[in-house]
Amino acid sequence: MSTILVYSENPHAAAEMLVAARQLAPSLNASTAALHLGSMSEQDLKAYAAGGAELVYHVDGVDAEKHGPACVAEALANVARNVDAVMVLVAATRLGREVAPRTAQRLKTGYAAECVQLEASSDGLVAYRGVLGGTYQAKLLFKRKPYVVSLQTGRYQPEGSGSQPRVEKVSIEITAPQLELVEIARAESAGVDLEKAELIVSVGRGFKKREDLSMAEELAKVIGAELGCSRPIAGDLKWLPEDRHIGLSGKRVKPKLYLALGISGQVQHLVGIRDSKVVIAVNTDSNAPIMSEADYAVVGDIYKVVPLLTENLKKLLGR
Amino acid sequence: MVDIIVCLKQTVDVNQVRPHPETLEPQLGQAPRKISDFDLNALEEALRIKEKHGGRVVAVCVGHDIQQLLIREALAMGADEAYVVSDPMLERADGLVTAEVLAALIRKVGRWDLILCGEASLDESAYQTGPRLAEIFNIPHITYAVRVELEDSGVKVWKAMEGGIHVVKASLPAVLAVGLEINTPRLPSLLMIRAASKKPIHEVKLSELGLSEEQLTPAVETLQVKALKVERRRITLEGEPEELAQKLAEILVQEGLVKK
Repeated sequence: MSTILVYSENPHAAAEMLVAARQLAPSLNASTAALHLGSMSEQDLKAYAAGGAELVYHVDGVDAEKHGPACVAEALANVARNVDAVMVLVAATRLGREVAPRTAQRLKTGYAAECVQLEASSDGLVAYRGVLGGTYQAKLLFKRKPYVVSLQTGRYQPEGSGSQPRVEKVSIEITAPQLELVEIARAESAGVDLEKAELIVSVGRGFKKREDLSMAEELAKVIGAELGCSRPIAGDLKWLPEDRHIGLSGKRVKPKLYLALGISGQVQHLVGIRDSKVVIAVNTDSNAPIMSEADYAVVGDIYKVVPLLTENLKKLLGR
Repeated sequence: MVDIIVCLKQTVDVNQVRPHPETLEPQLGQAPRKISDFDLNALEEALRIKEKHGGRVVAVCVGHDIQQLLIREALAMGADEAYVVSDPMLERADGLVTAEVLAALIRKVGRWDLILCGEASLDESAYQTGPRLAEIFNIPHITYAVRVELEDSGVKVWKAMEGGIHVVKASLPAVLAVGLEINTPRLPSLLMIRAASKKPIHEVKLSELGLSEEQLTPAVETLQVKALKVERRRITLEGEPEELAQKLAEILVQEGLVKK
């Protein structure tokens, strides 16, 4: 029997991957196992148990943060070879997206990145993922084993079997090129969970100065919304922390109301707001892409409309 | 002196791809092509490193239908020369085949210290070419690079991870993969555009790269691509700011989107 080998540097994400792996295991005629690198706590083991792991391979000498993705890929590929893995399933965290393709190259095989769904077919593994900025979905077929896949997190719910997985120590000599970690500067974080927000007021390049964001903040305060933004606002301009960035490489949100202010609506942004119930866009350019992806497209200058809107809402809501 | 390879992918402009009204398949032939966004950030960063430390910048580009004009665009920005493989067979290429072809082409370029590429491509967003190339050459890679400094012993990179910035060092040669945060790509001046017409573009045949059948066989096949439909009401509101603000406030309250 072959193995579906699961890895994430975050054991909770690994637990989600284990749930996905266990669903596929019967049709791939495989068992499942997780790989853990570095020291392993009781908490880690509990997380693997919650994912339903029966077996955890433990490599003590490799640390993802300290040694870097090449070494993680080497360990993952080595264990995958040793256990004759049919599939290597990695959580699509930032590190996971570096480790998985490097592992695939080491194993001279294919890779499907940030998948949303996996199916076993008689021809091989079928994977679904977003392409063309995330507005299209591709259906991919693996023609070669092992299948290396990264899967978006937040799609599977670990339930916890309670029983302790068996731990098997593996010793691996790392020869891959290492990185030297100098320091970690913790990000300024808004500490918000935009994925759970009911109302979002979101800002884009239509705002000319950082101070002008106060217009949007005031509006958000009046209606009790969270503030979000497009990639340039968090990335290039750094006006807002990264955890407010909505889009392909940021958060994917599903609020009741998404109010886009001065956002042109590049497809990479639109993919992040697809699951919003109502989208309202305010933009001077009636041809901006977001205007055709909105329930209400308001053609107007945010500098004029937003303060007036805030005033009107204050009156209507009695604030 | 540092010699830098920059990998440039030519993709469709995803913002201009429209789905076929019935099949929902992307009408790729009707959308213009461009250099993948983050690859331009990679090229810009390479040019900045060259301006500071000297050396040469070589653009490499592989694909099924490479447009000369877009190669000239990279040369106009400041790349010194370009190596290109354009072969219809590469239309079916997956990440594995693309990396093998790129690596073989890079070997033709000769000496280099650094490979720069966009962290993900505009059309596929798979984040795989950088790590795959680094694995082929058995050298370190750093993705999500937001700041790069060359040092005597190697390269120091600020890397954006979930929890913050990791400052890491790697020895050279190395692969760096960057996003839009790192810089703003320059627009070439008329003078640079003119100068670019004299810069060499080396066209290399796929058959000259000495790749095996296995290296050229995709491991992943795309069976289907379909638009994900989102139905929106698409109601346009126009008028004076006062009217718009009032109407919008009423909509928000009436539809129960905001609560008293």
